[in-house]
Amino acid sequence: MPEPSNPPVRRTNAGFGRVLVVVYGIFALAATARSVVQITTRFDEAPVAYVLSAFAAAVYIVATVALARGDRTSRGVARIAITIELVGVLVVGTASLLVPDEFPSASVWSTFGSGYVFIPLVLPFVGLWWLRRTE
Amino acid sequence: MTGPFASAIIVVSLVLALWAGVLLAVNRPPNRALWGALGVLELLLVTFLIGGVVQMVGRDTDFARLEFVLYLLGCAAIVPLAGWWVKDEKSRAAAAVLVVVLLVLPVMIVRVQQVWAGSGA
Repeated sequence: MPEPSNPPVRRTNAGFGRVLVVVYGIFALAATARSVVQITTRFDEAPVAYVLSAFAAAVYIVATVALARGDRTSRGVARIAITIELVGVLVVGTASLLVPDEFPSASVWSTFGSGYVFIPLVLPFVGLWWLRRTE
Repeated sequence: MTGPFASAIIVVSLVLALWAGVLLAVNRPPNRALWGALGVLELLLVTFLIGGVVQMVGRDTDFARLEFVLYLLGCAAIVPLAGWWVKDEKSRAAAAVLVVVLLVLPVMIVRVQQVWAGSGA
């Protein structure tokens, strides 16, 4: 069995990473679709929440692509995106409880992702754990 | 837009999820028979998409049309995307990916029906 001279960085897209990327991908799709609907059909109802919704979608897209590529540069991008995701779900989750009028229809992060069985709250922790694990 | 066809898709998806779950449990990647069954599921989903759009065009009453079409497109896209993503994965992670997708799909089908019925947003 040939030994690689430089042990390669463990890739973020193999094994459990395959599954993680798919979960991120589903949220990227769901958040993007939802925000397209919100912004094109009823933007005036809650502009702040809907802009945040679009932002969440963008974060999920970046995290998905970065985790799926899985090389050294992407790892840094993924870490930043997932950290933003973590802050986002905590801030938006809290805000949606404090000022519910600004968040009339649930977006991915409102009430800590309760509309998506709280997966949006768990996902960034899993993502960061996986990045550490594959280091 | 409700009814037996959507229910059939949900049942097929759950059965295939169970199948993929068994492969996951015995540490195997998806086999050719499962890929074939996924092909059948995809045919159902494309039919669902086309049928849904046709019915939507023929419907006069107001409902969330954009959301409806996006959900239908999502349902039709998710299985091929997942297949492409795991086609070279030789570990049981490939089966795990299929389990996730095949469990999410029924939820999406239910959402399609809810949007058609006009509930939820």
